[in-house]
Amino acid sequence: MNTLNPRSDITDMPDAEVCEYFAPLFTPRAIAVVGASASGDNRANGFIRQQISFGFKGSVYPIHPTAMEIEGHKAYPTLADTPTPIDYALIAIPAARVPDTLRAANNRVRFAHVLASGFGEVESGKALQQDLVAAANEGGVRFFGPNCNGGYSPRGGLTFTAGASDEPGGVGIISQSGGLGVDIIRRGQERGLRFSGVMTVGNCADLGPSDLLAFYLADPNTKVIGLYVESIADGRRFFETLRRAKGRKPVIILKGGRTTLGHAAAVSHTGALAGDARVWHALSRQTGAVLTGNLEEFIDAAMTFQMVPPNTMNVRGEQGPIALFGNGGGVGVLAVDAFSERHLQVRAFSKDTQARLAAVGLPPGTSVANPIDVPAGTLAAKDGKIVESMMEMIFEAETLSAFVLHLNLTVVWSHLVGTNDKLVENLIAAAARIRDETSGERTIQIVLRSDGREDIDSRKRLCKILALESGFPVYDELANAAAGLAALRFHETFLASLAE
Amino acid sequence: MNISTLIAAARADGRVALDEFNGKQILAESGLAVPNGVVVADETALDSALMDLSPPYAVKVISADIIHKSDAGGVAIGLVSNAAVENAIQGMRDRLHPGGAKIDGYIVEEMAAPGHELVMGAVQDPQFGPLVMIGLGGVFVEIFEDVAFRIFPLTRHDAIDMLDELKAAPVLAGARGGAAVNRELIVEALLKFGGEGGLLAKHAGAFTEIDINPLIVSTDAAVAVDARFVMVPS
Repeated sequence: MNTLNPRSDITDMPDAEVCEYFAPLFTPRAIAVVGASASGDNRANGFIRQQISFGFKGSVYPIHPTAMEIEGHKAYPTLADTPTPIDYALIAIPAARVPDTLRAANNRVRFAHVLASGFGEVESGKALQQDLVAAANEGGVRFFGPNCNGGYSPRGGLTFTAGASDEPGGVGIISQSGGLGVDIIRRGQERGLRFSGVMTVGNCADLGPSDLLAFYLADPNTKVIGLYVESIADGRRFFETLRRAKGRKPVIILKGGRTTLGHAAAVSHTGALAGDARVWHALSRQTGAVLTGNLEEFIDAAMTFQMVPPNTMNVRGEQGPIALFGNGGGVGVLAVDAFSERHLQVRAFSKDTQARLAAVGLPPGTSVANPIDVPAGTLAAKDGKIVESMMEMIFEAETLSAFVLHLNLTVVWSHLVGTNDKLVENLIAAAARIRDETSGERTIQIVLRSDGREDIDSRKRLCKILALESGFPVYDELANAAAGLAALRFHETFLASLAE
Repeated sequence: MNISTLIAAARADGRVALDEFNGKQILAESGLAVPNGVVVADETALDSALMDLSPPYAVKVISADIIHKSDAGGVAIGLVSNAAVENAIQGMRDRLHPGGAKIDGYIVEEMAAPGHELVMGAVQDPQFGPLVMIGLGGVFVEIFEDVAFRIFPLTRHDAIDMLDELKAAPVLAGARGGAAVNRELIVEALLKFGGEGGLLAKHAGAFTEIDINPLIVSTDAAVAVDARFVMVPS
């Protein structure tokens, strides 16, 4: 048995130990690549080049039976022949050859990703998967997969997909789908997410979601954990790990295959009614993990938790109104529906607040009841100062539970040609100033809406970065903000229930 | 009580589930309320058998061949005298025996006080282990599907939370002038069944599915009136 890879239960390890255990995966010093071609070009060759261009500074060891050199790196015949032990190995060879390759690792490889399919996910590969597990055990390798895409750890210079940001962040992801792992990285980073890691786990023949969950819970870099899961063989262990965590970090789950019905052969009412959706709902209620319905909601929730620390004060006692503030009347009305459908109340402000707002001397068309519809003309008036004073007034007069600033950029920018070009930037700065000068406890969300035209979108991107740098979660539409706020409140309610 | 002996006997009998009387003994052992009752072979010695019980009575046939007792005419309720019990047993034998059902006896038990009919159950999930269910019971279980599940073991908070989740929660609380049930009794029943150290903690490994339907809940009791323990196949 490899002393470096003890098979004690990872989910039982203290924080420091589990962090140390997974350090070679997230910050590898030596990477081996099995499957790169000496003469041609394949996925493994691409992986080597990608690591270098991504900024990986450690040793890269191509493994090849005969080649002397691949992609400019000296090659070695087996995993056991490299000059230093291997922290991470990418195994990109056909399924049938994988077991013997790992068997020969001779306790010198800490972690591997086995990419090949043709194992347990098909009937004909089940025996091969068993052999793979036995071989990895003999070779002393802990592995992810098979049937997956690899791992992404920006702080360790590791990536499995092109175009991934090299900026580390606080979102830790576990994905049972390789392709969806890429989506989460690419779409997530466009939305403003930054990752502490994205690990694809495929068939989970060895390590799986429970192990990585234990790591991300312990990892000081990770603020929020997201999982895409289809089925979880060690569900009991997963549940117990989550339950023991008592919501110490927000966990977001996107469950594929929720419509699976109850146990087909059930002979009881209980058995017939116990479908997949009910089990995961139960897990969510018992552990505080947030269930999301699709990738969009998953990213909305991750965005919210990345930017906003949960605070149980937000769900204690009488809830103040959620202020919806921006341009667009119909959009505001739809937003009230979107928030209400998630049990988030957008109430009219008090008569007193409304009177104070009206006294500002607003141009016609400005509604002050909540949602506050501020036409672009009002937004632009006096360089945005009117709007700033309205925002200030609302924060002062109402005990808000959240404030949502939504701007239809297409309208704002076409209205402002040649006038105040920095209006959106100024409004974001104003929101930050007001937040800092008031108690700062309220959740503030910023929605930057665009028609998708290229010039609007590229300007929007800069405003989004500014808002993120100012500490605000940013969303494309109000429905996204509603999904994010609902996730936050669910988690906060769970934390509050533990304290009861 | 030795569960493995009960199970071995039930299997030898060709059963997939424990008979109701044995099932209820397991419930009683875990502190869940079941009606007072006795098993009789026939109607010949009712006066001594029913000496410690008070009417009204319910009579249910015990037979491995009959899965849905009430559909088959194997249940009689509201029997106010020993004579009525005798008639009911004779009637059941006349109806069921010619059909070829092997009758192992009859349960005679006191009727539970009227109340709301709930269902409480458990099922082994291949990934998460035992799941616990509570819901609106009786004959409407699968029509309204007003049920809530949690993963074993339940905490007190879980038990309360799953009751709150039911659409029928306001009805149980006595909405619109109906009788309010004692919610604490349901919480207690859930914990004795699916809590830490409860029935499932001891016996979950032996059964694939358990239905307690109905669990009749009133202001002062939560009584398991029928129970079905489906055994893990041998």
